[in-house]
Amino acid sequence: MDGMIQAIIQGLLLGGLYAAVGLGMSMIFGIVKITNLAHGDFLVLACYISLLFMGVFHSSPLTTLIVVVPIMFFIGFGVQRTMLNKVIGRGDEPPLLITFGISIIIQNLLLYFFTANAQKLASPLLLKSFSAGTVSIPVLYLISCIIGVAIILALGVFMKGTYLGKAIRATSDDTEAATLMGVNIKSTFGVAMGISMVTAGVAGVLIGSLFNFYPSSGSTYLIVAFAVVVIGGIGSIYGTLWAGIIFGLAQVVGGFVFGAAFQQLVGYAVLLIMLIVRPQGLFSK
Amino acid sequence: MTKLKTNNVSKGNMARYIGIAAIVAILLSLPAWGGKYAVMMVMLMGIYIALGQMWNLLAGYSGLISLGQQMYIGVGAFTVAVTSNYLGLPLPLGLVCGGLVSMAIAIGLSYLLLRMKGMYFAIATWMFAEAMVLVFVSIQFLGKGQGLFITAARKLQAADVYYYSIAILIISTVVVVVLLRSKIGLGLFAIRDNDTAAETSGVPQFRSKLYCMMVSSFITGVIGGVYYMSQVWIQPYAAFSISWTVAAVFIVVIGGIGTITGPIIGGVIYVFLSQYLSTLSQIGSLSQVILGVIAVAVILLAPKGIVGTVQNRFGFEIISVRRWMGKYTDRLPEPTEA
Amino acid sequence: MSDLLRVENVDVFYGDFQAVQQASFAVPDKEIVSIIGTNGAGKTTLMRAIGGVLPAKNGRIYFEDVDITGWPTHKIVDLGISQVPEGRKLFGRMSVKDNLIMGSYTPRARKNAKGELEKVYELFPILKEKSTQSAGSLSGGQQQMVAIGRALMSEPKLICFDEISLGLAPTVIKDIYAKVRELNNGGITIIIVEQDVKRSLKACVEAFVMLKGKVVLSGKTCELTEDEVSKAYFGM
Repeated sequence: MDGMIQAIIQGLLLGGLYAAVGLGMSMIFGIVKITNLAHGDFLVLACYISLLFMGVFHSSPLTTLIVVVPIMFFIGFGVQRTMLNKVIGRGDEPPLLITFGISIIIQNLLLYFFTANAQKLASPLLLKSFSAGTVSIPVLYLISCIIGVAIILALGVFMKGTYLGKAIRATSDDTEAATLMGVNIKSTFGVAMGISMVTAGVAGVLIGSLFNFYPSSGSTYLIVAFAVVVIGGIGSIYGTLWAGIIFGLAQVVGGFVFGAAFQQLVGYAVLLIMLIVRPQGLFSK
Repeated sequence: MTKLKTNNVSKGNMARYIGIAAIVAILLSLPAWGGKYAVMMVMLMGIYIALGQMWNLLAGYSGLISLGQQMYIGVGAFTVAVTSNYLGLPLPLGLVCGGLVSMAIAIGLSYLLLRMKGMYFAIATWMFAEAMVLVFVSIQFLGKGQGLFITAARKLQAADVYYYSIAILIISTVVVVVLLRSKIGLGLFAIRDNDTAAETSGVPQFRSKLYCMMVSSFITGVIGGVYYMSQVWIQPYAAFSISWTVAAVFIVVIGGIGTITGPIIGGVIYVFLSQYLSTLSQIGSLSQVILGVIAVAVILLAPKGIVGTVQNRFGFEIISVRRWMGKYTDRLPEPTEA
Repeated sequence: MSDLLRVENVDVFYGDFQAVQQASFAVPDKEIVSIIGTNGAGKTTLMRAIGGVLPAKNGRIYFEDVDITGWPTHKIVDLGISQVPEGRKLFGRMSVKDNLIMGSYTPRARKNAKGELEKVYELFPILKEKSTQSAGSLSGGQQQMVAIGRALMSEPKLICFDEISLGLAPTVIKDIYAKVRELNNGGITIIIVEQDVKRSLKACVEAFVMLKGKVVLSGKTCELTEDEVSKAYFGM
């Protein structure tokens, strides 16, 4: 029984982080109306960038966010401005294929420079935990969850309270009308992708501190992100949070019940059921 | 439409058919006079062109971007191994079984997949392929992650696999042409041009797309069987690797999406390029990076690929799938006033 | 009296289709002009070209004697041309207030956004009441008010009203026209795009009739007869 409670707590905490993993993908899908198949690979890229700077600064993973965040923003902004903006209005296929190509490029570049070996962002907090009653709460999971939720709330405030955030929402509602208000759509898309990559970067650094990662880990996190988008409904920021929690819980509790080897398969099964039962998402209006 | 069938055109057709016949003759006789390397290269071309044709059938004509073709490759390969190792079936029969098992999986998935569009279809196919490898590496009689040998394939000569490969090349190309020139193809063009209009004019979308998925999965399964007959040993992570789909995307995008000749030209380029890259030492995974960069550049700069760009500039098609459409236009329902 | 906006021999294309051919007209400062024509005559296309949403292929567009041909929309808005687009095109999922604030997106307008918002609320008190409601939930007339208010937020010198009365009840149309006149009295130049000949002739000083992408008739309203306009309108 204690094991079950432990699994539920861990699933909940992981869920907050999963929400951050999917947040950027959901946002881009809702606003720019494209699917970033490289979302997971960008997340893993952030892990490796963090790894590099940990070596340079001799610091903890969280400290490297100071450089990871701006780097990820410019990568996202650059990819959108130089590539994805060029194919907008040419149908679904070109952006899908371009991001697929980017995914392959990132994955194999990482493989070339870092080999296929497992890596981890060594955090001094990894093994720390505190006990609450009979269960122990791992500190790093708790921090990850708090940061994950904080990004979501921060993004929510940004989208509601600033001109740029409003412009991004307006663009997703009606692109032409936003143009008529004086919004520069291409630059707004660039900023949106930049923000999306920042969320992926922060999530990546947290993921990399908790779990092993490889150059090929991108597809695992793409599917987490996809699950969050599907369960949460497109473009709903708070739906994303609930979706992350549902998916995280399903994976960890499923892994606890069926064995750790099945953790991923249980995740796929949940996603599959969602796609059959309610493809528009649980929280979409 | 009748004007198309004047003497000039049929003379042009004659030349075309003679040309195709000559190419087929050269391909069939190659093992008799060609070197070992040439036979292997052409065998790989056959496999990759067929792979491209099958991805193109989904992406180029049905608007379905599949990122899970590796699922059929792996399933086809493992079926050949299982049927010949455990059941003692001859290899050709094993190939057909591989195709059928792939197709059965595709039919099962289609009821879910065909309700999805764009990104949902793409990611769901990818997800299924990832899930499939997890299942395959956990099953004892499939080698549990160590993979399987196709024992019977050890006795095969290089020329044997070569002929399988040429057969699959010809079959895949002919099937696509025939399929697209049929009523189903007409429906697909209507869907590609305008989804809702096609549906209201009575073109059964679901069925047209289902047929394409069935054909694509069957032949891709056979391709997997043929390829792994040449390798003898099936390593599950390689057989279910996304790099199969990467190759298909590269081939079709470079050659020209939505054309018959595109995958042929793309396949030839892919095999030469990947063989060349594999001879460079120290390059390792950078070869995939180079393929990716080329593909992205082509999408951005020449979205119609080599064939589409040439067609636009010179206005001719080597193999047209729209040629016979005149035959069917009289069967189309009357357009209704909007 | 100088012209605020001059459109000279403009061609506009949608892909291969030419929607506007050699269109020329001028809008005098602080006047109301109307562009009349049937569905598909090219009126909306012309408005989009003026707003910079669609490029003008040939010809030139001048605003306050500045050549704005080919300018991006955000610069044109900043210069002082604002649009109330056909079908209103509100941001349906955003609140009324956020819709209005989006109108003050340009750098110039942002500084006075608060004051302008109060002015809009004064003009349409109902919008203040509904400020937190989502724009999509309002009635057609109220939505038109939001669209007008949103256009005002950028402190424009010229507002283009596209299909101003489309889909609205007659009493609402009357109110809207009254507000338009009020705005004009306050010094804003106005272009009204209409399908209803009678109403637009009554409201404006100068009228242009478009047919199949061309401006086929133009003149002062007092000099044009309704019969003349109708003939041009239907191409008889």
